[in-house]
This record gives sequence, C-alpha cells and structure tokens, in this order.
Amino acid sequence: MSEHESRSPKASGAAAESPPNRRSALGWLSVALGALATTAAGVPVVGYLLSPILRTPGDRWVDLGPVEEYPEKQTRLVDFVDPLHRPWDGQSERLAAYVRHDEGEKFQVFMVNCTHLGCPVSWFPQSGLFLCPCHGGVYYQDGQRASGPPPRGLYSYDSRVVDGRLQIRAGRLPTLQQPG
Amino acid sequence: MALVLVAAGCGRRLAHERPPRPSEVRDFEQLFARNCSGCHGAEGRLGPAPPLADPLFLAIIPEAEMKRVVSEGRARTLMPAFAREQGGTLTAEQVDIVISGVRKKWAGKPDDTAGPLPDYLAPADKTDVHARANREEAFQVFALSCGNCHGTSGQGGNEAGPLKNAAFLSLVSDQALRRIVITGRPDLGMPDFRKLGAMLPAGQPLTNEQIADVVALVASWRRPVEQSQTASAAAAGGSSER
Amino acid sequence: MPSRTQRIIDWFDLRLGIRTAVLPILTHPVPRGLGWYYVFGSATLTMFMMQIVTGICLAVVYVPAASDAYTSLEYLNNEQPLGWLLRAVHYWSATGMVVLISLHATRVFLMGAFKYPRELTWILGVFLLLLTLGLAFTGQVLRWDQDAYWGVGVGAAMVGRVPFIGPALVHVLLGGPNIGGETLSRFFGLHVFVLPGLTILLLVPHLYLVVRQGISSRPAPGKPVDPKTYEAEYEKEIAAGEPFYPYDFAKDAIFSAICVLVIFALAISFGPKGPSEPPDPTLIEAEPRPDWYFLPLFALLALSPPEMETAIILTLPVVAVAILLLLPFFAGKGERHPRRRPVAVLVVLLLFLTLGVLGWLGNVAPWSPEMFAWSGTPIPVHIVERLTPEQLQGAAVFQNKTCRNCHSLDGQGGKRGPDLTLVATRLSHSELIRQVIQGGGNMPAYGKQLSPAEVEALVSFLGTLRREGEPLPRSPAADETKN
Repeated sequence: MSEHESRSPKASGAAAESPPNRRSALGWLSVALGALATTAAGVPVVGYLLSPILRTPGDRWVDLGPVEEYPEKQTRLVDFVDPLHRPWDGQSERLAAYVRHDEGEKFQVFMVNCTHLGCPVSWFPQSGLFLCPCHGGVYYQDGQRASGPPPRGLYSYDSRVVDGRLQIRAGRLPTLQQPG
Repeated sequence: MALVLVAAGCGRRLAHERPPRPSEVRDFEQLFARNCSGCHGAEGRLGPAPPLADPLFLAIIPEAEMKRVVSEGRARTLMPAFAREQGGTLTAEQVDIVISGVRKKWAGKPDDTAGPLPDYLAPADKTDVHARANREEAFQVFALSCGNCHGTSGQGGNEAGPLKNAAFLSLVSDQALRRIVITGRPDLGMPDFRKLGAMLPAGQPLTNEQIADVVALVASWRRPVEQSQTASAAAAGGSSER
Repeated sequence: MPSRTQRIIDWFDLRLGIRTAVLPILTHPVPRGLGWYYVFGSATLTMFMMQIVTGICLAVVYVPAASDAYTSLEYLNNEQPLGWLLRAVHYWSATGMVVLISLHATRVFLMGAFKYPRELTWILGVFLLLLTLGLAFTGQVLRWDQDAYWGVGVGAAMVGRVPFIGPALVHVLLGGPNIGGETLSRFFGLHVFVLPGLTILLLVPHLYLVVRQGISSRPAPGKPVDPKTYEAEYEKEIAAGEPFYPYDFAKDAIFSAICVLVIFALAISFGPKGPSEPPDPTLIEAEPRPDWYFLPLFALLALSPPEMETAIILTLPVVAVAILLLLPFFAGKGERHPRRRPVAVLVVLLLFLTLGVLGWLGNVAPWSPEMFAWSGTPIPVHIVERLTPEQLQGAAVFQNKTCRNCHSLDGQGGKRGPDLTLVATRLSHSELIRQVIQGGGNMPAYGKQLSPAEVEALVSFLGTLRREGEPLPRSPAADETKN
C-alpha cells in the first residue's frame, strides 16, 4: 500500500518533466498507429462477416423437367436442388416450389414461402387455395392474397420454357423488399 | 429410486421417438384417420361420403378400380385424387396400404348366399341410356323400390330427401349412383339391392338390368344448376364485404 | 503451531491473495431481513453455468454442419451414453434460465432495486436479459430440424422488413442467399462463442457492481430513495447488517440447488426437446412452432393488423428495450416499496397477463388452419344422420373444399373461422350464399372455387346446422323483395 502511494506521484512528476511536444507526439503516434493497426485487423474481419452482402451470386436457372409433367390448369409441388447450395448443406440444399401450368407455355411457379413470415404454404387442389400453417395466410390459385396477414400475393420465380422443358430462376430466399 | 428409474425411462423413451416423414408413415390407422375419415367417417361409416366399412361394397369393387379411385379420385364426384403424381399427398405405397387396410379391416362375406352379386362397374351397355331411362320398367322399379322413401317420382318423402335435385345430381356420377343403388347406405338405413328388389312384385334382388334402369332414370333428372339469384348478386357485388 | 494443511493454504494465499480479495466479498455486510426474495439472480447464474457445462459437452459430439447436425442430434439422443440426458438438461436449464432471469428482473423492478445508485447494474442486467433471449433463439436453431429451418425463415422474413438494409441484413443473417450450411454455422458461432462471451463480459461488471453498491435493503413504504441522503442511510443499514456469508449465502445456495434438482427432474421425466422432423424444406406439411419463449411473439405476429405489422415488428422491440434501459433515469428516485408504486405493480401484472395470454394463444394458435381437418376430421355423426342426399353432398363439399380447416363443427376442426355447428341460426340462406361466394371478415371469397351446384349443396347443408325446431333467421333479402 505504501509502495503504491509513493510510486504514483513520482511517475506523474517524471512525465511532467519530459518536453511537452515529445509527449504529445508520442501520444499522437500511439493513437495513429493504434487506429491503423485496428483498421488493418478489423476490415478483413468485418468484410469476412459481411461478405454475404458483397458477394451475392445471382439466381440461376434450374430445370424442372418436361412441360408434359405438368397437366394444364393444375398445380403441382416440385422439389429441386438449390443452385446456390453449399456442398455441406445436407437436406437443406433442396427447395420446393408450386408449379401452376396455366396453358401452353404459360406457367406460374410460386415459392412455398408465405409472404407474411416465410412459413411453407400448403396447396389444396379441391378448394384451389394455398393455406399457411403459421398464421393462417390464404392465397388463391393464381397466387393472389385471399385473406389473413400476408401483405401481398405469393412470391413467384421467373420461369421459361426451353426445348419443351420448364426452367425457373432460383436461389435466393425471398423477402418482402426483395421478392424475386 | 424406483420412481426415478421409471421416470428415467420416460424421458429417454421420449428422446427416441421421432416423427416419421409424412411419406414414411406406413400405419393404416394413421393414414386412414388423416386422409379418409373426414368424408368417410371415423369408422369408415356415417360420413357424408359412402361408407367403406361395407362388406358388400368391398366384395364387388374390383381391386384395380379401387386403386384407381383412391389414386386419381372419381370424376364428377367430390372424391379427390390422393396420389402424389395427381397432386395428392400419398405415395403409391401408401395408397396400397390404405386399400389393403380397408379390405383387411372391413371386408367380410356379405351376408347373402342367394344368387350372384351385381357388377360394380356398369356393364358395357348396348341400350341407349335415354331409352333405358324411359322404359316402363325403370319407372316401376323406382316407384316401388326407391319411391317408398324418396317419393314415387324422386321428389322426396318422409324417410329420405329428394333425389330429383339438381345440386345433388350434379355432384354424383352415374357410377356413384350405381354403387348406392347396389349397396344402399347401410349406415344411414338405406337398404341394398336385395331389400330394394324385395319390394318389387317378384321379390327378387335387383338385377344388373334393373339397377342400370334405375340409375339411368335418376340420371335423366340431372339438370345444370343455375346460379341462384342471390348467388349471382353476391358474385356481382364483390365490394359489400361484411 | 499451524498444521501442515494450514501452511500449504498460507503459502498459496500469500501469492494469490484470496483471503484479502475474496473473503471480504463473501462476508461483505448486507442489510438484515432480506428474506428469500434475493435468490433469483444467483440461481440464474447457476443455470448459466449449467448451460456452459452441458453446452461444452454437447459441442464435443454435435456436428455444426447442416449436412450432419440432424444425424448427430439423433446420435446424441439414441446412441451417445447419457447424450439424451445432457441434451435434456441443456434445454430445461435454458428454460430455467429464461424463467429465473425474468423473475430476477421482476423482483428488482418491483422492489425498486434499480434505483439510485444501482442504475448501471440494471442496465447491464437488461443487456444480459437480451443476451439470454438471443441464446435461446440461436440455440433453437442449432436443433437443426424443421422448426429450426422455418424458424430461421421467420427470423429472416422479419429482418427483411427493415427499411432499405433489410435484404442485406437477411443475407448477413443467413450467411448466404438462402438458408443452408452457412446459416447453421453462423448461428453456431453466435450461440457458442459470441453470445456466451458477451454474457460473461457483461456478467463480470454486473456482479462487480452488485458487490460495490451492496445488496439493496428490503424496501419499506415511506422510505423513498434520495441521492442526497441515500449513502448515509445505506451505511447505517449495513452497519446494523450481517455478513453475506453464511446465512444469505446459504439461501442462495439452497435455492440454486433446488433449481438444479428441479431441472434434472424435468430433464429426466420429459427428456430433450426434439429434434422434430428433418430440416428438409420440401416437407411441405411442416407446421413450424417456436420454442415456448417466443410463443407470445408468435401470437403477436398473428394478431397484429397487417398494415401495422412491419411497424410492430420493427419498433416494438426497440421501444421495449429503450423503456427498460431508460427506466432508472425516469424512475431512479423516490419510493421503492411496491405498495407505494401502484403503476409499477400494474405494469408488471399487465405485462405478465399479456405475455401469459399471448403465450397461451401462441400455443393453441387458433388462427392456424388445421391443415388435415378436411380429410381427417369427420363430420359429427349426429349431423350426418339427419341429412338429405343433397345435404350429404353439401357436407362432402364442406370437407372437400377445406372449409373444415378453418371452421369447426362441434368444436372439431380449424378455429380460424367461427364454429359453424349452429350457423343456420345466425345467417339466413341468402346470407350464407353471400358469405360463401364473397367471403369477407377474413374469409376468402369462394365464388370462383365452387360450381353453382357445389354452392347450392353446401348452403343447403349449412342450412341444417341449427338446433331442432329453432326458427330460421329472417332473411334481409326476403324482406327487401317484400317491400
């Protein structure tokens, strides 16, 4: 205790004796170097963690099989492998979609995610409705919102028919502000 | 201590239980309860749809037909398709489990030895349906067998509701009518083809021919259902939400 | 002559200084008459320590990769000796931690212990509460099953509503464009490193402040906190107080021990939670439910009006946290005793009532359609028996068109819409038709989904849904035609 008391006033006295500009120069240098070092170490870390924003691979076209597999005026549940999946995604690499074959080459392919909070909607062919099990959102067969909390109709994939095969552009989890 | 051990088994057992994937459910009771009981009744009877717990029905329906109906649904009725390829939820294996389960649980010898059973599917018919519906025999069989309950001209009676009803006839196919004429609705007190035939002067079970007559007659009452006034008004005035 | 053990202890103590550093803490004087009210904080800490121990054990076997996580959970449940028990203890002590930290915070709030000079202790506590909830949510995701997968989806959908940066935040949260391997790894990193680390980081100053400011005395009515006089008064209470060890320490220890035993009893008898169905997004029959801690939120999201929902999702948590953090600044002085703070008591009662009701609703989820009612919930037999052929078809329409998923008969079926057992006493024929075709009142319009024959049969069936002999409601449409 006594040792401590005697040491501190001496230390501050010594500091006061050194030339003022040298002290401030050292002080500034420590701040500047510290900032540089922190930035050097911090930027890669932050960049690493935020990389999913910077590196956003675009959706890719996925083949959903020949058009004949989808009877006209009907809706079918299909699953496919997420084109942007990681090798270790396991079962979660798969995704599901509802394909509604309107007529000819006109298709609507809906994402299964409810637009309310993303739960998977179920299709009921007899009543022509999609129902969400979480909060009871309901959609008509053309994806329009029918009732419940969803703020909009079902999200849908871009689709095209190439050489008699249905393709959709998929990969990203849809959210309200980035639906497609 | 013993209590702790019992309890230990309990938590551990719970840990072992895992819900199977819906496509892996192979238990008939579970499949039936989840997919069939809604319309056919919890015990396969006393639902709005015709009973499956009916030995006579199970004796006459061909295996292939039953599989087709469960998989693809029945056209012009409310029976939906259950096979995955048809937009339903059951795998082919599950369809088989349901069918064999229904047979195992409810098939039995229909309690009758007198004479052959009628065909489930309408035999290839050479008679013009229109002509058949207008045959004197058709009216007679209907009046005597069905008329007691449904009214002699199908207008409905004290015992049972009308058959001459556009909505009803639009929602049942001729094949469904045929099945009901043959099996009746034992769960709801409607007699089968034997008791129906017994009301005729001959007192014999209805023949294939007579069954076809009745079905043709009843089917001839089918009229397109016009949208009722209220309905069209409601459909038009979409804005008056309540 | 000191004994050999005594000499060894002395040798260490000279170097470690335990006696001078720790003993004063253990024996620091606390006010008299604390009773058993002050035990929740230490019990929360005990739960946290159990979390750490069982968590480390689980991490030794659990594989935090999306491809194998589910298998490793099943392995833990079924193969790993005592794996099921450790998973159960981890789950139940998480439950215990959430419960106890809530009780602790409530106790501190009701007794006004957050007031001068313990504001910082409270603020740190608020962050510890948030971290606990964060641990609960991330832990639920590590149980990489169907509920976890869609739970992340729900989280993403909520985050995605943040103005402007929502989509970017979603991708950071998921570690990629969609839910998958990197999502699980991110949550693993959060649950195992970041959040526990932060918790410990905040726990240290929290406990330091507890010791530095001393344990608050039991509040007494008519003895308000006044920063000018508080120190002197507290000094007096402390001078008349008793050392923390042994009596109050014993109370903490006894209560913590009871909590641990209860957790073990729960773990042994109810086992671990899940995993439920595998995390396969193509299993569309999933009916995701959050763990109990988030049921009130689940309910709130179902019940809030759609146009206000984004505002509720984004502002409610911010407002709630802000209120908690600012509490000691607008209520840092004055009466401490709950009897003199009726508003505070009322707020607590309302809060728990609201949470209780919302949690119960979240558990029952009456707004969720019963997805298999149409094909799996029979029409009550007494109704079927009185139907005409047309009405039987109508009943089949009722099932086939999935009306039953939202509407009950005899209490069986979905609860989203009204029970229709006696609907014909409420609505006339034409009202029924209009309701079916146009929908309204949160019911979809079925006009395009039903053929005229189906409408006819259905309404004819619905018209029978009343007690025998009860008069039909007067039809406004009929009245109109009369006039």
